[in-house]
Amino acid sequence: MTGSPARMSPRPTFPGVSTMRRSILVACLALLAGPCPGQDGGQLYTTFCSACHGSDGRGATGGQFPPLAGSPWVLGEPDRAIKAVLHGLHGPVEVDGKTYNLAMPPQGAVLPDDQLAAILSYVRRSWGNQAAAVEAATIARIRRDTPRKEPWTAAELLKLHPLPKPKSALENVISYTYHGAWDDLPDFSKLEPAAVEEEHDGLISVADADRADLFGLVWEGEFVAPREGTYTFFLDCDDAARLKFGNETVVEIRGHGPMGSRARQVRVDLKAARYPVRIEYLEFRGGEDIILAWKGPGAKSWQPLSESRVGRRRDDGRPSIPIEPTAGRAAIYRNFIEGTTSRGIGIGFPGGVNLAYSADHLAPELIWTGAFIDGGRHWTDRGQGAQRPSGDDILKLTGSPALPEGARFRGYELDPSGNPTFVATLDGLTIRDSFRGGDRSLERTIRTGGATRPVRLLVAEGLPLEPAGADWRVAGALELSAEGATLARRDDALYLEVPPARAVTLRYRWQ
Amino acid sequence: MTRLFLLLAGLLAGPAAARQSDYYLREEIPLPPGEVMEIGSIALMPDRKVAVTTRRGDLWICEGAYGDDLSKVTWSRFAEHLHEPLGMFWQDGSLWLTQRPEVTRITDTDDDGRADRFETLSSEWGINGDYHEYAFGSTPDADGNIWVVLCLTGSGAAASDWRGWCVRVTPQGEMIPTCSGIRSPGGIGFNDAGDCFYTDNQGLWNGSSSLKWLRPGSFQGNPTGNKYHQLAGLPAPPEPRDGSRILTERRRFPELVPPAVILPHGKVGQSPTAVITDPSDGSFGPFAGQVLVGEQTHSQVQRVFLEKVNGLYQGAVFHFLEGFETGIVPMRLSDEGVLFVGGTNRGWASRGSKPFTFERVRWTGDTPFEIHTLSATPEGFELSFTEPVDPAAAARPDAYRMAAWTYIYQSGYGSPEVDPAHPRITEARLSEDRRKVRLRVEGRVQGHVHHLEASGVRSAGGKPLWHSEAWYTLNEIPE
Repeated sequence: MTGSPARMSPRPTFPGVSTMRRSILVACLALLAGPCPGQDGGQLYTTFCSACHGSDGRGATGGQFPPLAGSPWVLGEPDRAIKAVLHGLHGPVEVDGKTYNLAMPPQGAVLPDDQLAAILSYVRRSWGNQAAAVEAATIARIRRDTPRKEPWTAAELLKLHPLPKPKSALENVISYTYHGAWDDLPDFSKLEPAAVEEEHDGLISVADADRADLFGLVWEGEFVAPREGTYTFFLDCDDAARLKFGNETVVEIRGHGPMGSRARQVRVDLKAARYPVRIEYLEFRGGEDIILAWKGPGAKSWQPLSESRVGRRRDDGRPSIPIEPTAGRAAIYRNFIEGTTSRGIGIGFPGGVNLAYSADHLAPELIWTGAFIDGGRHWTDRGQGAQRPSGDDILKLTGSPALPEGARFRGYELDPSGNPTFVATLDGLTIRDSFRGGDRSLERTIRTGGATRPVRLLVAEGLPLEPAGADWRVAGALELSAEGATLARRDDALYLEVPPARAVTLRYRWQ
Repeated sequence: MTRLFLLLAGLLAGPAAARQSDYYLREEIPLPPGEVMEIGSIALMPDRKVAVTTRRGDLWICEGAYGDDLSKVTWSRFAEHLHEPLGMFWQDGSLWLTQRPEVTRITDTDDDGRADRFETLSSEWGINGDYHEYAFGSTPDADGNIWVVLCLTGSGAAASDWRGWCVRVTPQGEMIPTCSGIRSPGGIGFNDAGDCFYTDNQGLWNGSSSLKWLRPGSFQGNPTGNKYHQLAGLPAPPEPRDGSRILTERRRFPELVPPAVILPHGKVGQSPTAVITDPSDGSFGPFAGQVLVGEQTHSQVQRVFLEKVNGLYQGAVFHFLEGFETGIVPMRLSDEGVLFVGGTNRGWASRGSKPFTFERVRWTGDTPFEIHTLSATPEGFELSFTEPVDPAAAARPDAYRMAAWTYIYQSGYGSPEVDPAHPRITEARLSEDRRKVRLRVEGRVQGHVHHLEASGVRSAGGKPLWHSEAWYTLNEIPE
């Protein structure tokens, strides 16, 4: 595919918009959204802004200053641009792949609301920018609600007002996730997808899958070629990927391997049309990513079709959002916790002891010390997968139902310090299971209401058990002692016979 | 092009084009600083409090959300880190919450402003750790049951019990499997007759997103969860033919209830969510009793008129509110006419560019000139308007245009619009009070979406329609 560019056939019906009609529409919009009465935004811009940003909006002195033409910083919701103008902006700012490290002086004290509105309206509707005009009242509101004296940093502003995403040339994208281990791209059409999803942003990403290893992804959609001409596509991936236009493979990278050395580019001749495309991707183990981008008529730099861009990989590491107990109160986290069932309830006690209670098995299945858990996985993107506890010495005490068949989860109560009492019912009796964290220890109190016979409770299984007097040492790390009942071993499991209508206390102590 | 110039001239010289803010005032409600408020549920509480839940699982209570001065709004955190809750209401001193694994009654027993009792009413449906296994819960029905729609696993499989089903949870905590055939819901609620509806998103076996009627015992169209019929001890489920049409298949399987109102993909949103009914006595404008549907991708709220013909629901969808700050997920409309919406675009992009929002909408008191209802008649359709119309245009058949199409009922993702038809409007008869027009239409097609365009109609005062389009799903033609 390195010689003459391949020719692709477009989708037969292309709903084109005639140029004439579009230019009338643009003129129409411009007329309707006219500048603020009384202020000439263009003239004000020339006076106050063009020295740095250029009369053509491309950044003065050959691009030493950030451009405003086509800059997402001035498009979308106006708050970001308004705050930058009102209070100033300093430090590194990235615009269109280039980083500027300058200081934008605050204009809030210099210019009144109506003049700022006129300038911003002009910037947002000039040089190809198409965003709504800014009203003086909006500036007045932000001025009032944001009593700030310091200039902003880019990070501060973007946290409050993220940039609008550039429109991708991929449209109507549907992703199919597959689970499996393959040496090379399989025939996905013969496999059952585990998930099917629309991807509205038109950017493909390995984050569209629900796991990090042993999966495949297929994206189907349309590539919208804006003009006729020769297009170059860039593909890089870990592990394998393939780009198809219709039934024809345009570029592919086969087998297992890392990013970088295997990246490929290919040239293709396209008409101004919509082309049905299919991207197939496979991840075996280890790192995973895909970069797909294009250049072509009217686009000199790489235009991303994937979340990862040429020269800029997506951030693999999810943000860390540690969830911690406060000094006086235990933290709770209900979600998918790795190592227990899907109905997991994590509790982090102030003393640095944690547990994950399974509401399916009615048991504290995991216990660990140190940090509690991280919300970064479930609180970003779509929240795929199960989160592993953060701390050390994760011990899986049990993995099967702890109470006899027929027991049902009924919820829990939290005391003023957030300590939980889990409630279950079994044949008309209520079992209340309370936990309290101590210093490298956990105290568990079990009460049965309405019972006339003892209830057998599974405490540990599948772990090395050593007797230590009436107590037990579990996995060489944990000491278990009971008060009010006796711990009994049967095969490789430890049980507690909870007598009727009496409180039994179990202590878990780390050595 | 002539039309375009006319439009341009009309906009510049004629009466000012209708703007949303003339009729409905949309306001952002200030959120607790520094908190990530990706709102998934809203509940109206006594004393003009409003409770919301976030996707991170926090439950907050807001005071002042009805007030004139929103800067006085205060928030308090009632509970933390529940499991992706999507559906909440207040009853008997508690908040009742549908979260991913269960329905929970949440109570503050010691009145310290913080929840301390979390009673699990039912946790009988399966979840296997797949992020897509969402559960959306309703407000209670007349018998106190909470209706829960359970999304498929990964939206394309049914790997856990009752995925792809609607279940009812009784006040005693019994779970009753109620309907099968569900794909990927976005919200659930009742119309003013007390029948339950949910929105289902375009995808496998779903040519376009739609509003669907959960008639107990019905099959909603996606056979992925059919294996659980056996678990429920129900007779063999429908196995529809791939590549067919809904109308064809429902003639084979009477339990297949067709979508009540199709929301044509791309034209009327892309990801429908909340289903609510305007319960007010006209304090939210002229649409009391009609259904509102939230829209995540397009950051909108659509309006739906429902009617029952030959025992099935059908009706029309109209564009209504737009410009919300992010994708809309839950909605609640108070008796006094305050619409609360919340939203998020994490994981699913939206036109509104903020990551989350909580907003309210109030009616300004000015009645927009709109098509109030669009109903099917034996010979065509009848439109009613919110104001008397100018007979000059409204009584002319050429003031209206109609096109009709349907979707392929198939195992693949979505469908193009197919089987196009061009019904002809041959007569437009104005009622004496000039609020209704009866259209005689030739060439309607049963089962098709009928798109009506009425931009030529003017009110008696010369106003154009705020929204001049409607999409009517003609499941049945009345006799």
